[in-house]
Amino acid sequence: MIVVGLWIATKRIDYTWRWNRIPQYFVYHDKDAKTSDVDGTVTSLVNIGNQTTVTVRSEDGDDSTYIIDTKTANLKVDEYLLEGDTVGSIAEWKAGPLSVGLWVTLWISAVASVIGLVIGVVTGLCRVSQNLTLRQLSITYIEIIRGTPLLVQLFIFYFFLGTVLDIGRIPSGIGALGIFAGAYVAEIIRAGIQSIPKGQMEAARSLGMNVPKAMVYIILPQAFKRTLPPLAGQFISLIKDSSLVSVIAITDLTKSGREVITSTFAVFEIWFVVAFLYLILTFSLSQVVAWVERRLAVSD
Amino acid sequence: MIKTVDLEKVFVVRDQEVRAVDGITTHIKSGEVVVVIGPSGSGKSTYLRCLNGLETLTAGHVHVDGIDLADRKTDMNKVRREVGMVFQQFNLFPHKTVLENLVLAQMKVRKRKRSEAEEKGRTLLKKVGISEKESSYPSQLSGGQQQRVAIARALAMEPKVMLFDEPTSALDPEMVGEVLEVMKQLAREGMTMVVVTHEMGFAREVADRVLFMDYGKLVEEGTPEHFFEEPKEERAKLFLRQVL
Ligand SMILES: Nc1ncnc2c1ncn2[C@@H]1O[C@H](COP(=O)(O)OP(=O)(O)OP(=O)(O)O)[C@@H](O)[C@H]1O
Ligand SMILES: [Mg+2]
Repeated sequence: MIVVGLWIATKRIDYTWRWNRIPQYFVYHDKDAKTSDVDGTVTSLVNIGNQTTVTVRSEDGDDSTYIIDTKTANLKVDEYLLEGDTVGSIAEWKAGPLSVGLWVTLWISAVASVIGLVIGVVTGLCRVSQNLTLRQLSITYIEIIRGTPLLVQLFIFYFFLGTVLDIGRIPSGIGALGIFAGAYVAEIIRAGIQSIPKGQMEAARSLGMNVPKAMVYIILPQAFKRTLPPLAGQFISLIKDSSLVSVIAITDLTKSGREVITSTFAVFEIWFVVAFLYLILTFSLSQVVAWVERRLAVSD
Repeated sequence: MIKTVDLEKVFVVRDQEVRAVDGITTHIKSGEVVVVIGPSGSGKSTYLRCLNGLETLTAGHVHVDGIDLADRKTDMNKVRREVGMVFQQFNLFPHKTVLENLVLAQMKVRKRKRSEAEEKGRTLLKKVGISEKESSYPSQLSGGQQQRVAIARALAMEPKVMLFDEPTSALDPEMVGEVLEVMKQLAREGMTMVVVTHEMGFAREVADRVLFMDYGKLVEEGTPEHFFEEPKEERAKLFLRQVL
C-alpha cells in the first residue's frame, strides 16, 4: 500500500529514481596508477593470477617492485623506464562516503555510549548516596543536561569548550553526546538501584560487606539486569542523536548523506538509504541486548 | 556476648515519634538461646536489628563481644561479620547460585580462597540438607529450602552469634518444621542465638530464656517454664491467651 502510494506520488512529481547510482557511494573501484620511482630497466615480469609483479633495476643496481593488473602491463623485459614513467595501474576497492560515514557514526556512538555509561553509573551512585553534596551535584548536572536541547549543548561544546580547551570537533562531539547520555543513564541507574529490595543491601551488610562491596557484588548486578531494556533504549537514542554532530561538521552518516546528495541529486534514494543504515545500527544493538537479556535470565 | 544498656530506637515519621525500642537492658550470654516474643509492632525486629547495627541507635549502648556499637569509631563491618542474621524474607542474592550465595562474603569479607570457601559452603549445605541444590538459583527453591540456604550463608562467616527475625513467618506451614529442625540442631551445638518468633513450641523446647516485649519495652523475661506456666505481668498473660 505504502509503496504503491509512494510510487504514484513520485510519478506525479516526475521524479526519476536512480537506485543504480547508490552502490558506488558505498564502495567503488578506483584505478591507482603506479609510476616508476627510478630510472632503470625492467628485469622481470611475473604473472600471479590477474596481477603482475614488475621488477625495475635502477642504474645503481637497486631493485624496486610494483604490483599491477596484468591487463595494464604493456612492458617488456629490458625496456628502459625513466623516473615517473607509468608502469601500469591497479584497481582497488575503496570505501565510499556512505561507508565512511556509517563507520564514523558507529564509533562516535560507541565511544559516547561508554563515556555516557561511566558518567551515568557514577552519577547514579552519587544520586542515591548518603552524602548531600554529591546528591545535589548530581541532581544539578542531570537537570541542566535534561533541561537544554542537545543541539545547543553541541554548539556550546564545540564553540565554547572546543575553543577554550582547544579540543577538536570530534572530541567535542563525542564529549557532548557522552555527557548528554550520562544524565539519562544516571536516572535509569538510580531507578534500577532503588528498585532492588532493601533486604538485599541489609543481607549484604549483615554479612560484613561495606557499602561499596555490597553495591558492586549485590546491588549493581541486579540493577543492571533490570535496567538493561531502558539502557538499550537510551543507547539507541544516542545512535540517532549522534546525527546532530553533523552540524559541527563531523562527517558522520547524516553529513555524508548530505554531501552525496549535492553531487547526485538522488535526494530521495540517499535519505532512504541513510535511514535504513541507522535502522541497521539500532536493530543490531537491540538484538545484542536481547541476547544479553536472555543470557542473564537464567537466574529467574 | 551481647549486652544492651538502656537501648533506645526512635523513628520519626512525619514529625511523629515512634519509640520502637524504649530502654532495653539485657545480657545475652555465650551459648545461650534467647527467644524474643511480643505482639506485632512491639519492636522485636528493631531490637534485633540494633544488635548488629542495621539500625543506628538513638540512645544507649550495644556491646558485642565487648565492642560498643554506639561508639562512632567502631568498624561496623568487623562487628557484623561476627553476627549472623537470618531474615523473614530470606534475602538470598537472586543473581547468584546457592553455592555462590555462601561463597561470596567468605571471599570478599573473610578473604578466603575460592576452594576453601566452596568447601566450607558445601559442608554447610550438607548440614542444612540441600547439597544437591548447590548450582540452582534461589528462585528455583522452595521457601523452606531458601531459608535453610540463608542460614547456611550466615553460618559460612563463622559468626559468634546468630540473629533470627521470624525465620518461619513467610513459610508455608509444611516447611516450617524443616527450618526449625536446622535451628534446633544449631542450638544443640551450642550456638548463641537470638530468635524472634511466633513459634511458641520452639520457644518452649529450645529457649534458655524468653524475652517478652510490648511497646518497645522489655515487659517480662524468664525461663520458658516460668514464662509459659506462670507469667507475672498482665500483658504477657493476655498475649499468651491470644496465641496459645
Ligand atoms: N524504618 C522504620 N521507619 C519508621 N518506623 C518504623 C521503622 N521500622 C519500624 N518502625 C516502627 O517501629 C515499631 C516497631 O516495629 P518492629 O518492626 O520492630 O515491630 P515487630 O515487633 O518486629 O513487629 P512484627 O511482629 O509485626 O514484625 C512499629 O510501630 C513500626 O511501625
Ligand atoms: Mg518484625
